[in-house]
Amino acid sequence: MAPVSAAVMVFLGAPLLAGFLSLAIRKARLLHGVNLATMTALVVADMALTGRVVAQGPFTTFGDFVYVDALSAFILFIIAAIGLTCSLYTWSYLDDYVARGVVAPHRLSRFFFLFHLFLFAMIAATMANSLGVLWVAIEGTTLATTFLIAFFRQREGLEAGWKYLILCSVGIALALFGTVLTYYSSVRVLGDVSTALNVTKLQEVADRLDPHVLKLAFIFLLVGYGTKVGLAPMHTWVPEAYSEAPAPVTAMLAGVLETVAVYAVLRSKTIVDQALPAEFAGNLLLLFGLASFGLAALFILIQRDYKRLLAYSSIEHMGLAMAGFGVGGPVGSFGGLFHLLNHALAKSLAFFAAGNIHRRFETREIEAVRGLSRTQPLTAVAFLVAGFALVGMPPFSTFISEVFVVSALATEAFASNTLQLGQFVTVTISDDVRSLGVVSVFLIFAVVLFSGFVQRLTAMVWGAPPEGVRCGEGWDVGHVPLIVTALLLVALGVALPEGLKALLDQATSVLLAR
Amino acid sequence: MFQISPQLGSQLVDLCAALLLLTCFAIVAQRRLSACVDLFALQSVFLAATAALVAFLTGIHHIYVAAALTVVIKAVVLPRILKKVIERLNVSRELQMNINVPAGLLVCGTLVILAFYITQPIIPLGFLLTRDSLAIALAIILIGFFTMIARKKAVTQVVGFLVMENGLFLGATAAAYGMPLIVELGVFFDVLVAGLIIGIYTHRIQDAFDSVDTSKLTVLKE
Repeated sequence: MAPVSAAVMVFLGAPLLAGFLSLAIRKARLLHGVNLATMTALVVADMALTGRVVAQGPFTTFGDFVYVDALSAFILFIIAAIGLTCSLYTWSYLDDYVARGVVAPHRLSRFFFLFHLFLFAMIAATMANSLGVLWVAIEGTTLATTFLIAFFRQREGLEAGWKYLILCSVGIALALFGTVLTYYSSVRVLGDVSTALNVTKLQEVADRLDPHVLKLAFIFLLVGYGTKVGLAPMHTWVPEAYSEAPAPVTAMLAGVLETVAVYAVLRSKTIVDQALPAEFAGNLLLLFGLASFGLAALFILIQRDYKRLLAYSSIEHMGLAMAGFGVGGPVGSFGGLFHLLNHALAKSLAFFAAGNIHRRFETREIEAVRGLSRTQPLTAVAFLVAGFALVGMPPFSTFISEVFVVSALATEAFASNTLQLGQFVTVTISDDVRSLGVVSVFLIFAVVLFSGFVQRLTAMVWGAPPEGVRCGEGWDVGHVPLIVTALLLVALGVALPEGLKALLDQATSVLLAR
Repeated sequence: MFQISPQLGSQLVDLCAALLLLTCFAIVAQRRLSACVDLFALQSVFLAATAALVAFLTGIHHIYVAAALTVVIKAVVLPRILKKVIERLNVSRELQMNINVPAGLLVCGTLVILAFYITQPIIPLGFLLTRDSLAIALAIILIGFFTMIARKKAVTQVVGFLVMENGLFLGATAAAYGMPLIVELGVFFDVLVAGLIIGIYTHRIQDAFDSVDTSKLTVLKE
């Protein structure tokens, strides 16, 4: 077997195998070991896969079922990297809850079963050649995660899990209609063949697809997958699911699942872009992106719960990345992709720290958490790093990617500056006014966000800890991902490694191809 | 083998699709939960009939598979699960709705007009046999969506979701003679698992909240 097929096999096989193995295992130690081994295998396979894609370009394998190009390889890199840090954190987190008697030991195997299925669904979505299989896999992520969100089985958890299931299933159903419409347009060109939904085929014939059908299809796809990304106004499940789920699950939801959903939108966009004028899909992304950014900035100001605060910050960052992809061009697309990686790192770090804080203080109220620097010094540093990275401060890598996106917003000229809203309203504005307007609105919200976020953050870190909260923090394995992720955030802000840069460049050119 | 003229075939398909739409209206007008589930099962039978008809008229065999799966999963298995849930929960009627029945029916009428308006530009591109059903499919999706908003009980919300799925399936059959088989199998699998999960949820929600009224799910708020 060719080495790349072996790598693909590991990617698809390892989580599935680990999932079913977990059901049979009863010992907590062994469960964590299997989890860690799976994630390590994924990282190794990812290196092989990325090397091959960067050197020799995209490939298909397993009878055209799997298609990997630089864009999907980049997303797989994020899945593997965050997955590995997350598995280490899960170890200390779940052990702690078992020791306290909150989680019965026999429920751990079910947790890991669902967790690995969730991982498998995300990998399948990223590697799928067929847009239909992509849809099936994304719906699969919803089904696998709903009970993970409700894992603690409190009333709030059940409510969050139920809302997540219903909202995402309905949203995703709209994306299925978009997929049907895409198939409708491609069947007319390709005939009734089972490959008519394959990305490789669609790319070949994209310029012959009917533009009317594709326009309608893209709107449904964007709204559908946008629900899963958490774009406004379909974002309402995000704060609830993120605040109720166990911290490692939230880290995966916020860091990785959102990224995979963005991938689904981008994949649709690359096909639509070849058949339609560039600004159609781009303007829609820009509109949803800016709306999410602005709305999240305002909601951050009224948050009293630190996990919900972080959830709204996710909505804001996804809006930012979407705006980057929306303006497009080499700068915007590169910035958007790089931002996906940085956000995944910063947000998983933030939720790891939030999980530690929640275990110590037993509350999610910002008001009730004071003096972190004394109770948990290491976690406090990690929380500060994550927080300052999330507001886009230098020297963290989020600063670099945000600068890319903002400068793209300011400079990228459009092929046309007409924004078509429905069939009747057409807004035409000159380039200067438009970029000036977009950038100034953007910066105003960025300032609002900065002040709201930093004020809450610093209040939690300093001051006198409330009475009855233990001071001091012992060392355990859960601190490794905190340190590694924080270092990565700084390192990527200073220099971009050669291999990662090549991958990002190639992924950007996938987005720009037309 | 007997032959059916293309015109007659097209009219038969339209008739089946119209029956599907009619059951949608019946679901919106129905207050009894078990009757809603029965109507959904009936709708799925109509859907399977449409698919089988299309398969017969076009000679594309994989649509038969989808039709058979529709009968098994959507007309038998899922309604059974939902009936069990209703029995266990001891709820039979929806007394309070967000929107009352006459207003709901009016909204649905508007949704049908909207669906025809949206799909008008793309309908002439379709296959002659099924192209008129695309508008009906979108109408069914929208009505399913509306049902989820208008009703409060978890069970009826689920019926709304399944009606949406039926509309999507009709759309795929109408627009492109069905999706590739692998995709269709995947979709059926997802729907089935979603049905099972929802069954488990209603049980747990009942335990935790002593009610399946989703309007009581209000612990989480801004």
